[in-house]
Amino acid sequence: MNVIHQQTSNINKGQNVTPLKESTRRAERSKDHWSQLLERVGHSQDRSAYHELYQHFGPQIKYYALSNGLAHMAEELVQEVMISIWRRATLYDWRKAAASTWIFTIARNQRIDMLRKQKRSSSEMAMETEDLWQIPGDGENDPLPSLHRIIAERRIRDSFKHLPEEQVTVLAKVYMEHKSHQIVANEMGIPLGTVKSRVRLALNKLKVILQDQDL
Amino acid sequence: MSSHHPDEVLLMEYSAGSLSEPMALCVRMHLEKCSRCRGQLDMLNSLGAIMMDTSSASHIAATHSAEDVSEDLFSTIMNRLDAEQATTTTDKPAAKTVSTSRLTPLAKLLGKELEELPWKRQLGDVSVCDISNYFGTGERVTLQKLVAGGRAPAHRHGGTETTVVLHGAFADSNGVFEAGDMVVLDEHGDHRPVALHGEDCYTLSVLTAPVQLTGRFSRMLNPFIR
Ligand SMILES: [Zn+2]
Repeated sequence: MNVIHQQTSNINKGQNVTPLKESTRRAERSKDHWSQLLERVGHSQDRSAYHELYQHFGPQIKYYALSNGLAHMAEELVQEVMISIWRRATLYDWRKAAASTWIFTIARNQRIDMLRKQKRSSSEMAMETEDLWQIPGDGENDPLPSLHRIIAERRIRDSFKHLPEEQVTVLAKVYMEHKSHQIVANEMGIPLGTVKSRVRLALNKLKVILQDQDL
Repeated sequence: MSSHHPDEVLLMEYSAGSLSEPMALCVRMHLEKCSRCRGQLDMLNSLGAIMMDTSSASHIAATHSAEDVSEDLFSTIMNRLDAEQATTTTDKPAAKTVSTSRLTPLAKLLGKELEELPWKRQLGDVSVCDISNYFGTGERVTLQKLVAGGRAPAHRHGGTETTVVLHGAFADSNGVFEAGDMVVLDEHGDHRPVALHGEDCYTLSVLTAPVQLTGRFSRMLNPFIR
């Protein structure tokens, strides 16, 4: 736990020293390729940028559906997510999320939506999928300072490569196959406590758990 | 800022989109009040994006076959968008999807104020309103009201109960729970909450039947009593 604490205070120090404008400018320069493409779709309905996003994220979304055992609606999911991306691109703000994260949440919500529609008439449910699964206060609350977020995201990506396979397997079952930790435990024939501790180890290593001082 | 948070495992299942709707609602009502967990969720969503990316990449590497998306499918998508554009008068269709309403999903679901619900008086100072029917997931979803200064009778839960405070506050042997605070109690938990601050305390609870497991059974740990 000390390690995390250390990390957090280092990040905070970094932020205090860097004036906001400078940090925004630095963040702007480190904007990733996909986020730039997505902005082009939002600003000018750029079709070639949109096509490039399709080629990169389309196969990911398709595989996402396949991992869920939704082979019969894989292409439909790709289609719905891509349509959603086009429609919402004007709302995309690179300071709040990387394009990949933004697209992941759209894919997740569309998948939930499609499964809901299969189960019942959508009128029965007064709650929109979006309302239930989206982080509240988007657009009002201060997002994580952009540079801080970009650094954190890059760090997750880098340290992810070094995670032991047993931890990656658990994360993949949770994110790609939508299994609860309990079901993962049953499937792998290990205690729930072991699954949870693998998750916690992974999250610590990825520094996803940032503010343990508030616990 | 809330001080009783969902544990990271629960938050991860929320990020993955694999929680049941009642459980997701509990987490969502917590997020409403907790910037710490909103920040954590941001990071977990980034992890989700990485999982989506690396899982498909390693699948492609293992099978030597890309999950291809065809140019035909792209044309279908573009045709749909063109047709849509032709029928909409506004040039920015995205503007329609921006929700200006700041109602919580629970408020939207209920369509009325908490005070106006058909409360059923239970033991002591507790009233209950069962909203399980809104979901049909097999979990028991209830709203509870503990009158100002009131005390609930000591009770135990069969199964695991996840509770989030919607309004007011209560205290029990585990601590003080303010609006947004979340607590998970298993069947071994024994608690006797008292409403604080001279106001009625409203909570949302989801009761999940105990998981039947033999041998490897490991009880769900209450994250707040370590
Ligand atoms: Zn929290």
